[in-house]
Amino acid sequence: MLGCRSTLYQTMKRKKNKSKNTRNKTTKRTVSKTRNSISKKQESPHKEEYEEEEEEDTELGFSLKTSAAPSHTHGVQPLGNLYLNPGSVNSRNTGLGNLQTLTDELVLDILGLLGASHLGVLATVSKSFCVFANHEPLWRNLVLESVNNGFLYNGSWKFTYIVAHYPSFDVSSTGVSGLRVRDFYSDYLFQSWLCANLEMKPEWLERDNIIRRKGISVDEFVLNFEEPNKPVLLEGCMDNWVAYEKWDRDYLVQLCGDVRFSVGPVEMKLEEYFRYSDQAREERPLYLFDPKFAEKVPKLGLEYEVPMYFQEDLFSVLGYERPDYRWIIIGPAGSGSSFHIDPNSTSAWNAVIKGSKKWVLFPPDLIPPGVHPSPDGAEVACPVSIIEWFMNFYMTTKTWKKKPIECICKAGEVIFVPNGWWHLVINLEESIAITQNYASRRNLLNVLDFLRRPNAHTLVSGTRDRVNLYDKFKNAIETSLPGTIDELVQKAEEKKAQQKKLSFWDSVADSKVGAFKFSF
Amino acid sequence: MSSSKSNKIVKLESSDNKTFEVEEAVAVQSETLKNMVDDGCANDTIPLPNVNGKILEMVLGWCKKHVDETVTGDELNKYEADFLDLDQADLYGLLMAANFLNVKGLLDRVLQRVADMIKGKKPEEIRRIFNIKNDFTPEEEEEIRLENAWAFD
Repeated sequence: MLGCRSTLYQTMKRKKNKSKNTRNKTTKRTVSKTRNSISKKQESPHKEEYEEEEEEDTELGFSLKTSAAPSHTHGVQPLGNLYLNPGSVNSRNTGLGNLQTLTDELVLDILGLLGASHLGVLATVSKSFCVFANHEPLWRNLVLESVNNGFLYNGSWKFTYIVAHYPSFDVSSTGVSGLRVRDFYSDYLFQSWLCANLEMKPEWLERDNIIRRKGISVDEFVLNFEEPNKPVLLEGCMDNWVAYEKWDRDYLVQLCGDVRFSVGPVEMKLEEYFRYSDQAREERPLYLFDPKFAEKVPKLGLEYEVPMYFQEDLFSVLGYERPDYRWIIIGPAGSGSSFHIDPNSTSAWNAVIKGSKKWVLFPPDLIPPGVHPSPDGAEVACPVSIIEWFMNFYMTTKTWKKKPIECICKAGEVIFVPNGWWHLVINLEESIAITQNYASRRNLLNVLDFLRRPNAHTLVSGTRDRVNLYDKFKNAIETSLPGTIDELVQKAEEKKAQQKKLSFWDSVADSKVGAFKFSF
Repeated sequence: MSSSKSNKIVKLESSDNKTFEVEEAVAVQSETLKNMVDDGCANDTIPLPNVNGKILEMVLGWCKKHVDETVTGDELNKYEADFLDLDQADLYGLLMAANFLNVKGLLDRVLQRVADMIKGKKPEEIRRIFNIKNDFTPEEEEEIRLENAWAFD
């Protein structure tokens, strides 16, 4: 079995190497020369050449994963290099002909409308089109659109597609193209390749400022964390879990390797998913995220328990009609979720059974840099990939007064994500986790408010009956726990009134400023 | 008395200094312009340094047609089909303008048009249409052709 790619450990190793190679202000990008055991040509000669021509990065440079993807067309360089090579012609342009005035994104948009055979033909037109037509995300879309019950990943998305749809064609005879594409400069394509192959930098993993607790009581948890809506990392909650003891890749494959789980837009067999996650090298790896795992394999549901802090689970009043609430999450290093707020205003807990995850959390009133939610919250525009966010935005938070909460959650640890908090997660190595979202009395009012919104049909998640969920849930709560909602509303109003009072007296007694402030 | 919004005029200036005035309803077919209007930045003439007059006129014509309630579905289809009967220079200029101005319907149509120019054509035809130089060496071409032989049936 291929070893899991531990991004964290590789990064630590390379840190030592990097300090040896550093000279003056530039840090050369270190590319490990270790051969990977996957049978692909990893050592493309033009990769070394590429390294020499690389732009100087006066920040700390970056490290590539050991098995950086050798797409046929590796050798793409960032546009800046063109200017360092006076007299050089960009083969991107000569090979695109009249289309050269278009941006890379537009060229790819056009190619995204083509079928597989069109792309195959296009690849033979010129070197430039060869690079564009072999752009892996195009082939990923073609594969995912053409299958709904899984795929057998075969080295690359393009090969995967060809093997599936042209079985009589012998891909092994051609192998990975040794085509050297020199003088091809494109920021977009370079960035795409870079993000797919970048390791997490050590400085992105350093900060760990979350509060950790072990063995606290439920009341302590509610008082100190759930009520004030603060995240916390809880230790020791999984000691009795069979899952914590037994679950690893081998066990799961043995138990349910041929069961289909939700992976992005498709449902595929677990063993096929592992085949993919071992081989693929992508900016946004497909993530196994299944809300029906316990229904599909009841044994899985029996081998873990909801930690005692989260036993209050109000959506359970809806029985089978409750929205999705629990997921098994499996993914390779680099997979994860970019910034989002959990839907329906629920709170969540996430237990790492195997592997480790890096978390970055921002409170509800602090939008993460680079993230732009629409006014109604229905859409969030943010960087395409997690790596891209780290590359471009992470360091800006260093200068902020209010810093995000960060941590690395390791196997055996459970993180509490309070409702409304922005969060980003990235797996640092192959990870298996369970997560649940819930409503308790602490966030019930928020949940009801959310479900009642006028655009519920777009915002509410996890159920097909979005518009009626509010009514159903409210009625079910009134039936099972009569008076609860009114009680909470009353409490909330009392709290608000108290806070108003406080701020008035605060300002009256404000001696720091040296004068009374009256805020009538 | 009609609201001031429905009479509001948006002024635009192309890269070659031609000015255009259109009703707000027409202008906001462009998401880019819509954002400016919503943010209150559309009171003065909006300069568009990367769209020339000829192309801008075309884009605005498209937008006008799409807010015109007297136009039938059939008429609109015909309009759209005829609209894209352009030479390549104009077509790509239009594509970039539609992208920059974010006029979704137009953008989708032009992208599809260009894709249709590629579909089903042989490599030599594609090179001819788009004025592309074959920069493969004979050996490279052979290799690439072999690799993609499956696409040539």
